Amino acid sequence: MNTIHLEFPATRRLTKRAHVGVVGSGDLEILLEPSEEPFAKLTVRTGTTGFDQTWQNVLERFFEENDVAANIKINDFGATPGVVKLRLAQALEVSQNDVEQLEN
Amino acid sequence: MTLNNLKTSLVELDARSRAKALLDEGTFRELLGPFEQLESPHLEAQGIVPQSDDGVIVARGYIKGEPAVIISIEGDFQGGGIGEVSGAKIAGALELALRDNKNGIPVRPIFIFDTGGVRLQEANYGLLSIAEIGSAIIELRNYTPVVGLIPGKIGSFGGMSITAGLFSKLIMTREARLALNGPEVIEQEAGLEEFDSHNRQKVWQTIGGEQRVATGLADMLVEDDIPSMKEAIYDVFDKPASEKPRSTHVARYQTLLRATNPSYKMHPIEMRNLWKQIAEGKPVQQASTFHEPENGDSTYSRGHRWFEALAGTTSKHPDVQSILCADKEIAGGRARFIAVIPNPNGRFPRARNGEVGLEEGWAIAQCVREAVGEDRHGEKRAIVAIVDVPSQAYGFREELLGIHLSCAAAVDAYATARQAGHPVISLIVGKAISGAFLAHGMQANRILALNDETVNVHVMSKQSAARITRRSIEELEKATKKVPAMAYDIHSFATLGALFGIIAGVDANAPSKEDSYNVMERIHEAIRDVKSGSTGLEYRLTRTDGRQASILVRKRLEEQW
Repeated sequence: MNTIHLEFPATRRLTKRAHVGVVGSGDLEILLEPSEEPFAKLTVRTGTTGFDQTWQNVLERFFEENDVAANIKINDFGATPGVVKLRLAQALEVSQNDVEQLEN
Repeated sequence: MTLNNLKTSLVELDARSRAKALLDEGTFRELLGPFEQLESPHLEAQGIVPQSDDGVIVARGYIKGEPAVIISIEGDFQGGGIGEVSGAKIAGALELALRDNKNGIPVRPIFIFDTGGVRLQEANYGLLSIAEIGSAIIELRNYTPVVGLIPGKIGSFGGMSITAGLFSKLIMTREARLALNGPEVIEQEAGLEEFDSHNRQKVWQTIGGEQRVATGLADMLVEDDIPSMKEAIYDVFDKPASEKPRSTHVARYQTLLRATNPSYKMHPIEMRNLWKQIAEGKPVQQASTFHEPENGDSTYSRGHRWFEALAGTTSKHPDVQSILCADKEIAGGRARFIAVIPNPNGRFPRARNGEVGLEEGWAIAQCVREAVGEDRHGEKRAIVAIVDVPSQAYGFREELLGIHLSCAAAVDAYATARQAGHPVISLIVGKAISGAFLAHGMQANRILALNDETVNVHVMSKQSAARITRRSIEELEKATKKVPAMAYDIHSFATLGALFGIIAGVDANAPSKEDSYNVMERIHEAIRDVKSGSTGLEYRLTRTDGRQASILVRKRLEEQW
């Protein structure tokens, strides 16, 4: 198991926390909580080793496009970069939406 | 957009959404949700990424306007396997539902299965949890129907199917499967000719929802459609059944087993017809009788030797010769001793080496229930399970005829005896493995074990466990150093707190007179200890610090209840 810590500058505050996904094959779980600090702080735990650079690239890109101050935990079970991006987008949507979250 | 005939699938939802979907709209309130991050403390040490809710969702809410608790297993996380935290969430929620119902506060318990059984990476924690879950269900059933739904995808397997056997009502879809040992495991243990796991048609014909309902092993068949499932659940609570739970119907299932001929593999349709006759109370023919071995037993097992040493006799069950059962006057009262031994001439070929098979589970239940019945108005005799069981029986016939229920019957009987005030003691003299140990030993008030390196407690052989968790045996052994729940030796098991004591200084293999005297002393000590305590299993949680997560989960659940 590999744990990766990443941090990106951020300015926009979120109001709601969000939980999406499952630590199931090819999928991942995301816990997103609004933060008072001007950062998106990430802790990624992944069962797949050797992809630190890929995580760095995928997440950097995502948080360039989405400026959110949040503490984010990712529990990964071999999700592809595409799935990671989708789940992150879903988490953001849930955290900005007042509508009851629907999963899967 | 809604179409009139479009079904709204429950199977396609994750565990949390399943729970939400079944509760009255807008009433879902999750306990110990993902942000509490009560995850498994045992997975990271093994290089496995944990999940924030440990794969079990517990939620309060309402079912048709009445307070309810719903427990839903996430099959996509570690195959829905039961570990310490997930197990404690289930057991804790059921214990709280029991407490409320006992105090006159109605809580409707609903359970959504999607599980492969014990989580192999937390092995013996899973076993302990499943014993606690079963104990809570058996008591809870006295106050309210306990409803299980097996919607499908994984279905229900392993020790959790023994639990399923205890439910008041089981609802299944055609897609769902219910079995103790999965077809893959049986194929691996007994060969392709026993059960071809790739033959999907055969698999569903044998353990699928339709067959299970048609043969009385489940109660209602529903479509994978949320409104239909809700209706089925309402139905159970609207008309509480007068019928006793199926795991208590010893005579009925013994009739079924006697009417089957194990010399060939019965077709599932034949089983349906047979069951129909029995359920309607029509007489059935006894298919084959037991033949006493001509040359006597070829094996004289350790369990057999200890039974003779302690009970002073070899008294076999009249029909099931692999079960020894005898009463003996001991200091301070009477005790009934029960053991499972090999029988090379047993009717069921997959249960001849001391396994707990179909006949064994029901015969144990019979022996225990007989004592409970006889002592109803008097002094409750002690019941001593002598444990030397290599496994449950792996076979096609076993699954077709419901070995999960046979094991549940034994669990039910022991727990019922304990809850009625019988001191129930188990003495592990050899192997105490998996479903067999759940059925024979795990429901005891107190567990004693001999100090011997061949005295083992675990859920699966090292070879199989390594294969399934995709590790080498060396890696597996390394993991057991970090997680004692995965180890096989009795001292590691003792660190989990379930043992009353380890008995040293006796010859485990060949007990002398003095050895049996010493062991009997310890049994007396255990009985005295039971008499001064409660009839529950909570004693196991606090004996060592091996169950900290189990205690924490229960405490937090209670705060949020």
